This record gives sequence, C-alpha cells and structure tokens, in this order.
Amino acid sequence: MKFGIFSAFLLLGACDALPRDPAGTSVRVAQMQSFTVALADPTVHGAPEVAKLVHEIERRTGAHARWLPGSGEALFRQLDDGTMDLVIGRFAADSPWATAVAFGPTLSTSGATDTPLKLRAAMRNGENRWIMTVERASRAISQEAREE
Amino acid sequence: MSDTSLPQELRETMARAIRLEYWNIFWTLTIIVTMGLVLGQSQTMKTAWIEDTLGLVPPVMFLVAAHMERYGHRSRRFPFGFERVNGLGFFVAAVALTAVGALLLYNALMALGKAEHATVGSIVILGHDIWLGWLMIAAQIYSLIPPLFIGRKELPLARALNDKLLHTDALMNKANWLTGAAGLAGIIGLGLGWWWADSMAAAIISLDVLNDGIKALRSSTAELVDGAPRALSSTDLSEDAQNLCERLKAEFPGATIRLRETGRLIRAEVHDTHPPSQHRHPRYYWPEGEDRAWRLAQVSFIPPIEGDGES
Repeated sequence: MKFGIFSAFLLLGACDALPRDPAGTSVRVAQMQSFTVALADPTVHGAPEVAKLVHEIERRTGAHARWLPGSGEALFRQLDDGTMDLVIGRFAADSPWATAVAFGPTLSTSGATDTPLKLRAAMRNGENRWIMTVERASRAISQEAREE
Repeated sequence: MSDTSLPQELRETMARAIRLEYWNIFWTLTIIVTMGLVLGQSQTMKTAWIEDTLGLVPPVMFLVAAHMERYGHRSRRFPFGFERVNGLGFFVAAVALTAVGALLLYNALMALGKAEHATVGSIVILGHDIWLGWLMIAAQIYSLIPPLFIGRKELPLARALNDKLLHTDALMNKANWLTGAAGLAGIIGLGLGWWWADSMAAAIISLDVLNDGIKALRSSTAELVDGAPRALSSTDLSEDAQNLCERLKAEFPGATIRLRETGRLIRAEVHDTHPPSQHRHPRYYWPEGEDRAWRLAQVSFIPPIEGDGES
C-alpha cells in the first residue's frame, strides 16, 4: 500500500517533469519573464480571442508578452529559428506550414464553410512544453478549442 | 501417402499453431489500434506502429499456407500439392520486412539529418490536459506484453512443425521487447527535450526490422532456388539434413547425395547409384528415429549414365 502511494507520487512528479523543450523556450520565458508574439495578419487584432489568449499565457507563465511587427512567411521563419515564440493568425485547415510549425487548437472559425479559416496560435516545432502551455491556454479561453 | 501436402502426424500440432496464430492476429490488431490512437508526429511511434502492422504479415501468410497445405489436394495442375506455399509465404514476409525496414531506416536517418523536432502536444482526458507522450509510453508498454507470450508459445510449435515462417514470427515476437525498449527510450528522450532521441529510436527499430528481413530473405531464397535445407533459426545448413546426408552416404557409398527442401519436407536425390532391390519407404533412411522421419518425403535414385563423363 505504502509502495503504491509512493509510486503514485513519483509518477505524478514525473508527469509534471515532462515534457521539456529541446531549445528551452519555457525555461527562457520563465527566466526572462517575457515571450515574443506577432500577428500573421493585422486584421486578427480585433478578434477578442487574441487578447484573451495572450493574457492567459501571461497569467500561466508569469511573463509578459512582447509584441513584434512582421507578417506572413518571415514570421514562420522566425518561429523556426527560435527568435519568435508565438504567431497568431487565421490559417487554412490545409495550411502548407502545418508540418513546419506546430499549430495550437482552433480558437474560432471564420470564412466559407468549404474553405474555413481557423484562428489559432503557431509555435516552434518540437518545443513540447511551450506548445502544451499554449494549448492549455487556448482551451481555457475558447469553447471551440475545448471541443476540438 | 496423404492426398494433401501435410504429413498426417502433424495435423494436431498444425491445428494448435493455427489457433495460436488467430490469437496472434487478434492481439496484434489490439496493439495496432492502441498505437494508432496515439501516434502523433513522433517518428518512433510511426515506425513502431508500422513494425506492429508488419507483424500481421507472418501469421496471415502462415494461415494461408496452412489452409492450402491442409485442404489443397494434389491435382493435374498441382501434382506436387502445395507444400511449398509455406516457403512462398516465408519469402513474401521476408520481402515485406526488408523493403519496409529499409524505407523506415531511410526516413529515420533523413529526420535525423534534417534535425527534425517532433511535436507531441497534449490532449484532454476527463477534463485534464495530458501530454500525449504519456499515452504513447502506455501504448508502447502494452505493445510489449502480448508478443512476449505469443512468441514463447510459437517456438515449440515451430520446431515441431519445422516451420520457418512460424519460427521467424516467434523470434520476432520474442525480440519485440528490444524494439519496445527502444521505442520507450525514444519517447522518454523526446520528453526530456532530446530532439534526436525520437529519430534515433526509430532508426534502431527499423534496423531491427531490416535485420529480420534480410535473415529471412537469405533463408527463403535458398529454399526457392533448391538450396540445401537450412536451419530454422539461421542460414546455416540444417542439422537434420546433414545427418540425413551422412546416413545416405553410408548406405550408398560413392553416391552423390543432393538434398533440397520443399516447405517443411526434405527431398533427396541419390546420384550415380541404382535403387536398392528391396522396397523401402523413404522414412527408412531417416537417421534420427521415427519422430521427425516425416520430414523425408522422397528419395530418388539416378543411376549412372554410360558416357556421361565424356560430354
């Protein structure tokens, strides 16, 4: 019985220990108390989910968002080389960037029913702890993300 | 002699092997579904999943071959029956393993070369966000268990039936814990932030698949080109066949003995000698008692041909 409880505590501890980020995004965000964010398309600035998501990530990490300018492909390249932590925009379901970056859950959907555009955050591939943080924040602020 | 290709004394053992292979397919399917549900972007998981799916090929080929051996009657179109169907199944399984193993190794090395970072996110279960890696680890652990038991049960049946297809499957199943351990290490490594662990584990698993495939390919092609009978677990010559060869040499001094394997059976040709005057069943020549004498299906005599040496 005691062994079982001890094992359960160990497992719970391990549950929190993994995953870690290969490039250490989460550790850097915690140490610097800031993360960089940009909008792939300036028109999404008006969407209420954008501000809610950024505030939720700030609340969860204790860091503040540092907004940077930029647009389109250049932002994805910045994500890939680690100079940008988060890009928010409306992306097609079959976005060609789907394998190059990690997309979070859909915050809201707009556009035509046959070619919907999904408002969501994009992160650097493989930064699994950071990706989980953004995914949790997305689910916390959006019903659509929770249902996805 | 039986009208089908399967010796009478193997029927009960074969029936047990068939039941076991149906269970094998059932448990493999549960593993494929479990692993498939938590694949994600992990190269390790994809490779392990494909390996598990490939695990269906040997039992399916075995069942097809067993059906034809048991129920396929000799006919005008197939006068020798279907005893070599098992060898063909072994060859098909070997080609599948080799080709897929090579492809998986190429993919893993490409991912390693490109320094691809696998994304493994989270899912919601009962209102809790859980890292998908934990489910991958659970699926990998589950995938270790059934093959271990099935492999252990397959081995004695494979030896009794002298069935290379079943034997290869048994060894693959028994060795599955190695690839499972590599898979677990890959996912845990990925969780620890070692991006290369995922592709590295995938490469190790695919090397194992490729190794199994090449060994099976060497043994199965030897049978298809009428090579001397090979051992069950290696490409070495079969001990049964070597003893038989010695026995025939002792019985017919100066004769040239040629042995080949058709499925689980051995056929012998005794060259440059006349057949003995007594009528003897082929099993008479089997060297190790009666229990495996069924392996010797035929002994043919080719008398010396006058002037043969001149051509």
